[in-house]
Amino acid sequence: MLQTAKATFHRNMISMIRAYPWSFFLSHILSGIYTVLFAYFTYTYVFEGVLDSRFSNYAGTNDYLSYVFLGGALFSFAVSTLMNVSRSLITEQREGTLEALLLTPSSRKGYFLGNVTQQITRTLLEFLIILIFAFLLGLQFKHIHFLSAIFIWFCAVIGFFSQALLLGSVMLYFRDTYITQNTLFVTMAFVSGVTFPIGYLPEWVAPLSWMMPLTPALEAFRHSVLEGQGLAASGSQLLHLSFLSFLYLIVGSLGIKKTEKIVVEKIFS
Amino acid sequence: MLIVDGVSKVYQSKVREKLWKTTYKEVKAVEDLSFQIEPGKIIGLLGMNGAGKTTTIKMCTTLLEPNSGSITVDGYDAVKDDRKVKSLVNMIAGGERMLYWRLTGRENLNYFGNLYGIKEATLKQRIDLLLKEVGLEDAADTPVEQYSKGMKQRLQIARGLINDPKYLFLDEPTLGLDAPIAKHLRSYVKTLAKEKNKGVLLTSHYIDEVEELCDEVYILDKGRLILHDTPERLTASVFKENSLHIWVPALPNRTQKELEKLLRTYHAKMEIKQSIDLEEIEIIIKTEQEITSSVLALLSNHQLTVLKLVVEQPKLEDAILHLAERRIG
Amino acid sequence: MIGWIRLFLAELKKEHRNMFHSRLVYFSLLIWPVIGFITSYYSFKPFSLNDNSPITRFVPPDHLVLFLLTGYLAYLFFWSLVQSAWQMGYERQSGTLEMIFLTPVHRLALIYGRSFSSLLESVWLFFTFVIMILFIVEGIQVDGWWSFPFAFFILFISAVIWGGFLNAIFLFSRDAGFFYTILDEPMLIFSGVRIPPLAFPIWAKGLALFFPLTYTLHIIRMLVMEAATFIEILPSFTVLLVVLLVLINISAFVIKKAENHMKQTGSMVLF
Ligand SMILES: Nc1ncnc2c1ncn2[C@@H]1O[C@H](COP(=O)(O)OP(=O)(O)O)[C@@H](O)[C@H]1O
Ligand SMILES: [Mg+2]
Repeated sequence: MLQTAKATFHRNMISMIRAYPWSFFLSHILSGIYTVLFAYFTYTYVFEGVLDSRFSNYAGTNDYLSYVFLGGALFSFAVSTLMNVSRSLITEQREGTLEALLLTPSSRKGYFLGNVTQQITRTLLEFLIILIFAFLLGLQFKHIHFLSAIFIWFCAVIGFFSQALLLGSVMLYFRDTYITQNTLFVTMAFVSGVTFPIGYLPEWVAPLSWMMPLTPALEAFRHSVLEGQGLAASGSQLLHLSFLSFLYLIVGSLGIKKTEKIVVEKIFS
Repeated sequence: MLIVDGVSKVYQSKVREKLWKTTYKEVKAVEDLSFQIEPGKIIGLLGMNGAGKTTTIKMCTTLLEPNSGSITVDGYDAVKDDRKVKSLVNMIAGGERMLYWRLTGRENLNYFGNLYGIKEATLKQRIDLLLKEVGLEDAADTPVEQYSKGMKQRLQIARGLINDPKYLFLDEPTLGLDAPIAKHLRSYVKTLAKEKNKGVLLTSHYIDEVEELCDEVYILDKGRLILHDTPERLTASVFKENSLHIWVPALPNRTQKELEKLLRTYHAKMEIKQSIDLEEIEIIIKTEQEITSSVLALLSNHQLTVLKLVVEQPKLEDAILHLAERRIG
Repeated sequence: MIGWIRLFLAELKKEHRNMFHSRLVYFSLLIWPVIGFITSYYSFKPFSLNDNSPITRFVPPDHLVLFLLTGYLAYLFFWSLVQSAWQMGYERQSGTLEMIFLTPVHRLALIYGRSFSSLLESVWLFFTFVIMILFIVEGIQVDGWWSFPFAFFILFISAVIWGGFLNAIFLFSRDAGFFYTILDEPMLIFSGVRIPPLAFPIWAKGLALFFPLTYTLHIIRMLVMEAATFIEILPSFTVLLVVLLVLINISAFVIKKAENHMKQTGSMVLF
């Protein structure tokens, strides 16, 4: 498994260096920056900083800007990771290399692991650029509990990765990337507490929020960055996140295994 | 030994898509097929487009699961022990797919080698050797997108050999290749079987290719096996009817009569076609025996100039039609 | 002229076949925008929305839904055209476009034919929205019955011209995705779909002027939220017409330039 992971990491790195996916990179950064900018406009110019009385209660902080900035940055990181990992097999199919890959007895988990670690080198950069931009507009880092923030970020990566496996198998099954991924992304933006606390949402949305790894990941991340809390404060979120990761990892791996076969049947050559 | 035993494959494909409703159509691609591949032997799988050759190969290489029947490779089941089987087999398809275009030839081989779990030192040696054998040493560090068609095909071969497979499947490997490259490829395949003791299965729709290379030939039609034989016996029985095309400026009645008489003794059939401008006449003779020289002698006795002469090998299409008819009758 | 119309109709038919039964339409023009609309509605929840809220300077809080709905509706008109433009890029890659360019027909007919027809395909969706606005939402104030068709007319015309412009751009760019990123999301922010442009700082107001949607939305909101009379919107309407004329000229210029480029280099990729 590790050999496959290493080889895949290396392969992707070479491809990336030879043809850097600038337009992906740029559009991810820009859409993160737009979210940040939009929140800034709304807060500063439209509402002049006057918040709803329930906000600090729901959000656990009074700092609306930092709250939304972190939401926007982690959301776009989640989107990048989900997209990169889930699309990798379908890309192989479109470029005609899927069969050659499936001919080998390599571990699919290793393949995805190699993919995700390589792509993190890029998405992490996107994430940091968005955070820097947000910092310029007033994102507060003064309370940050650094170690726990990094640990939570790492758990979030695992969560997104597992979700991506499931997403990938759905995409592979329907042989569609555009509709499936965008439907997921707009839903995530709605239910995961990206630009407003989920406390405002009606009851019936709660199960959806609960299903997104982004929801607990964001809560925990905000605890550690905005409130400077250690890991203990985010125990329930981390438990929630690990449960989802575990569930999606299992379902996703099974799904990939099943759909791979279906896809090969559908390849006409 | 690779044993294919009573294997069938049915594809389900979507036919029509109406908003949210889809209907399915079933295609029987392979039906109740059995054969064996022994190490050191080259097996030919012959058939027209859509006969089920590619499907058969994909099942043998674990890419597809058969709907019924079983495939075992050295005792391992292709469905249950697919990982084990994967390390024993490999496949090379014609065309330019199955390679990463942004990587160089060497990087491609290195990647696939790792996916087979080959140790680094062994892999490095093997890659150098393979690159040399397929004649890509000079292009080893050039990205594949800059390769010519023939080079990509050769890299495909190296990829197909990267795990040193015991059984190798070649799906129309010479499709679209220039004649000299195709020829080189054929002789390479022969050495693989004869010197490296690999079991090879080769699909093709060129008879000559199969005749030249294979120890045994299977002919598929619409998913069914319609003939299994050695190439020699195959050409002797099915492909024996040559057709002889002779163009002459004119064909006097007397000559035609004599010709008919001659052909009758050989049980040959004759057809006469006049060209549109009436300037030449084409005589088509179908025969199972070698009568070219007698026919030519007859024509020259009658002082007829032969404008052109073509001897046509039997076509696969004809042979299959013939065989299919024979089976039904 | 006949050729113009024929090509226009041919494009219409083709678009119809391409788009009508495609699931994409339901997702991209119904489900996503609806979720997006709801999300942006909830994004206002963290703010004070009582009568003393600073937003009352621009929109009364109880008209916020109507404000957002008009914004999203107009945005949707414009957005639906991005997809057809995108498809045009694919056609270029598959070589069908070169065939079209062999014909002597007017190039602008091609881009507006496309733009117009893809809009027609999704018009029923917009009507659903309009009816929602009419029956569900409070705060509609119109001068007379004419305000609705007129608002609709303005929206339609500006969207078609915007779509033509996108078609011209996407037709000749290597990376349509890049232009999309540059044009689409900023349009969502700066042209006042979700927040009133009046609230912007001066530089953002300046940016807003580059998006035709800003002018269109301004007029539409005047028509249905402020009961503006025809005389009252006339100045804004004139500005919009000028903007649209400029946009048509830019599109024509881009096409001409690209075609010259194609003749010289054999490549349709201009930028
Ligand atoms: N992915 C697929 N889905 C549906 N039908 C298929 C698929 N692949 C092949 N077929 C059908 O199965 C039959 C056998 O195809 P194939 O094995 O590719 O034949 P060959 O390689 O001999 O040309 C054909 O009728 C073909 O149309
Ligand atoms: Mg085939």
